[in-house]
Amino acid sequence: MSNGFSRRSFLKTAGAGAAATSLVGVGARTEAASVLGPGPVPLSLKVNGAVKALTVEPRVTLLSALRNHLDLTGAKEVCDRGGCGACTVLLDGEPVAACLMLAADAVGHEITTVEGLGTPDKLSPLQAAFVECDALQCGFCTPGFVVAGTALLRKTPSPSLEQVKDGLAGNLCRCGTYGRVFEAVQKAAKSTAAAPRRG
Amino acid sequence: MAQEQKAKEVPTVTFTVKAGWEGAPRTLEVKAAEGDLKPWDLDSKLRVVKGRHPRLEAPLKVTGRAKYTYDISLPGMLWGRMVGAEVPAGEITKIDTSKAEALPGVKAVWTTEARTVRFAGQDVAAVAAVSPEVAEDAARLVQVTYDEKPYVTELEKAMATDAPLVYEEAQMPGNKEVPRRGNVLGPQRGGRGAGRGDVAKGFAEAAFEVEQTYRIPVHTHSPLETHGVIARWEGDQLTVYASTQGIFTVRDGVAEALGIDRKNVRVITEHMGGGFGSKLAPSATGSAFAIVACRLAKQAGAPVKLMLNRHQEHLCTGNAPSALMTVRIGAAKDGAFTAVHHRSFGSAGIAPGAGTGGPASSLYANTPNLKVEEHDVFINGGPAAPLRAPGHPQGAFALESAVDELAEKLGMDPLELRRKNESSPVRLMQYDVGAKAIGWERRNKKAGDPTTGNWLGGDPAPPRSKKRGIGMANGNWYVFARGSGVGAQVKVHRDGSVELFSGAQDIGTGFRTAMAMVAAEELGLRPEDITVRVGDTGFPEGPASGGSNTTNSVAPVVRLAAHDARTKVLALAAALLKAKPEELDAAGGKVFVAAQPGKSATFRQAAARMAGEVIDCVAERKKQYETLRQDIAGTQFAEVEVDTETGEVRMVKMVSVNDCGFPVNGLTAESQVIGAMIQGASWALFENRILDRNLGTMVNPNLESYKILAPRDMFEAVSILTPVANAGNNTSTAGLGEPCLVPTLGAIANAVYNATGARVRTLPMTPDRVLLALSEARRA
Repeated sequence: MSNGFSRRSFLKTAGAGAAATSLVGVGARTEAASVLGPGPVPLSLKVNGAVKALTVEPRVTLLSALRNHLDLTGAKEVCDRGGCGACTVLLDGEPVAACLMLAADAVGHEITTVEGLGTPDKLSPLQAAFVECDALQCGFCTPGFVVAGTALLRKTPSPSLEQVKDGLAGNLCRCGTYGRVFEAVQKAAKSTAAAPRRG
Repeated sequence: MAQEQKAKEVPTVTFTVKAGWEGAPRTLEVKAAEGDLKPWDLDSKLRVVKGRHPRLEAPLKVTGRAKYTYDISLPGMLWGRMVGAEVPAGEITKIDTSKAEALPGVKAVWTTEARTVRFAGQDVAAVAAVSPEVAEDAARLVQVTYDEKPYVTELEKAMATDAPLVYEEAQMPGNKEVPRRGNVLGPQRGGRGAGRGDVAKGFAEAAFEVEQTYRIPVHTHSPLETHGVIARWEGDQLTVYASTQGIFTVRDGVAEALGIDRKNVRVITEHMGGGFGSKLAPSATGSAFAIVACRLAKQAGAPVKLMLNRHQEHLCTGNAPSALMTVRIGAAKDGAFTAVHHRSFGSAGIAPGAGTGGPASSLYANTPNLKVEEHDVFINGGPAAPLRAPGHPQGAFALESAVDELAEKLGMDPLELRRKNESSPVRLMQYDVGAKAIGWERRNKKAGDPTTGNWLGGDPAPPRSKKRGIGMANGNWYVFARGSGVGAQVKVHRDGSVELFSGAQDIGTGFRTAMAMVAAEELGLRPEDITVRVGDTGFPEGPASGGSNTTNSVAPVVRLAAHDARTKVLALAAALLKAKPEELDAAGGKVFVAAQPGKSATFRQAAARMAGEVIDCVAERKKQYETLRQDIAGTQFAEVEVDTETGEVRMVKMVSVNDCGFPVNGLTAESQVIGAMIQGASWALFENRILDRNLGTMVNPNLESYKILAPRDMFEAVSILTPVANAGNNTSTAGLGEPCLVPTLGAIANAVYNATGARVRTLPMTPDRVLLALSEARRA
């Protein structure tokens, strides 16, 4: 880019309050579009069930917004280009790489981070299985695996080992804990299946 | 090879212990320092230690609540960003920071005083700004001009006599006694590489011999949390939150560089996102970012958070050197080795330290003639850093491949050839354990011929293009432990709560939990009853976590402090139970009369009787003592499947049989071993740092083209620990994190050969190399 800035792109939202935003270059023609930025703009994000107001430059990623503006540091910045899964969060229930998404594009969506899945005193079944199986070492990749594993189990409640590997294929662990992560996902699947369904 | 400072003579006490391992116990007298405790041995009835306990911090980590250095935010904090050299060699003629300084939100700028650039990524400048985005913008606005010079980024090109010189001879680092020629420094013959006997004589006596050359590229550590710090000044007091393996190293390094008193520097590492050896320097081997962050914070009058980005992490925080290794082994007709000659060249970038002779020097110690020659070759690449058993996985890959090639020539089973030459009684025992666990008898008796193996239990229809094979290899490591200058503190409070303090950091090994288990053993509590506080230079000193020395340096002193607290709690309980303290025992949260377990008080009731608010016990590490074994033995077995049409190698299973003295926590110890096999498989099959020969910078400084093993590549990884008492301290602990990575590469390479009959001597074993080896094998 001529000015040398990354992600300094201008946002135009197609219609006020529309869920879908599109990223287009300066000078693109979109009727009735509003331009965000380049200076800080107010946004509101729905994170873990609560509406959070923040003011950020439009180029700020969802990951940066969560970590640096909302102090939700569970999602990690590791590769910053969608290659490792450590920043995985749920967007309307679907796992996404928060480093590849602009915060402004997450407006109007339900965002769930690892912090929203359980607390140290009230772990989700998958989080509890991670603890029991020792499915972590340094733990830096763990939030990404927990979020990706949660998304997998919601879609595939009793995954085979191959399905577990597929569901976690985008996540990297450098300590080499994959085997125990797979074990934890399958253990949580069993414990959830055994427990009486609520709601 | 216990590493220990030569201390003044200390009075000793002699203990008789049942040492060794299950099936081979032996009575041994050990001389411990006065005041030390009798070591845990085969007769010890341990209730907590050697058990399995989930890590105490796991609930914080699985919920995203654990705050790593990367996650910490301080009021008024600025974001720092390093600027690295864009050229691999040259002189800096100008650094223009005016545009960066003019950018709104930029609060501080640093530039290097060094003028010579020797690798792309070397520190040039840095900025601190109000947001990470503005800091990134400012970093891009720093303009550096260079007088560029010729450079060399490839190992074999750097060895040529006409190669561009990375250093003028006078500036070349490394031992001045060692011969130097061009970019080559060596042979290093001191230390482990000293050798023995006369290899020329040994080869003359040999009935069979092999000589082969093996290659391995540079790997980067690639910890998921990049290197970085947060620096905060309060007057002359400096606090540094660091992603490090050695908080005391950071403290001392920062204090020295800034010319301030080290007692004014506090370093904190509560949780750490991986290091693997790269985080042992005050900053990193190829960057002074921690010092720079402290300077930026001082200049800006605000805390500065400076984390490297992924690109910088690959370039300047260390790597494992490349290696070009020639191994020659001679053997008599019965397979007994007559001579081993290991000659290696390798590049640690602009640094020395590329030796790979450790395994050749230590394995098969009955071989009468040994020569080890190691050479460092300088290239214009970032300096290496220790990476999990530095040089050993590489050296063992070469040595253990050559041993396999020799077995083929001798017509011997490779495992039998190793048994024949084995010098470690521990490894002899491990061979049986491992062979059984992998099913060694299933392997192809003739490499590449599946009809000579037993793959499917008699099922005659294996897929034609896919071939399975089983191989094995050995590894060695040493017992490193700090025998002094390590402390621990245990506080028992009046309410019965217990705190344990150690300055050493938990780098993801489960150190915190293991120490809680040691204290819990002494106090008769559960690990979760102990609040463990680690990773703060305000706590009793601990070692840097390198050389697999943390647990065995700290566990013995934790035991001493906890034992002191136990003695005091038992004295309080004695009055309560109307018994003598020596009649009491503690377990399950209770103190009881050993002969009448019904006669008991709770730990809490006993603690409530203390005179003040706290029983505070501080202990100092006693010396490491002479021991049964001073090495750490391991052997690994691998099963692979090779697609002979595509050249793809798929890992099926791997079994590690490793010694670590007494494993404190079986659960986390196994995780470490399994992780080592996975990291080793990643090196064997995928990892390769590529420096562009035309640009001199790294081609793949990310996590998708610098490929590390991912979930879809996973295999069944089995860790079998063979506990050995006594490793030389009161807990019988030894190291684990590194030895279990040493055999991995060789075991996988040998399995690929067993599957295909094709020998791949260059790592990683990517499909192109496997196909090439297959076509060469067909021609032969």
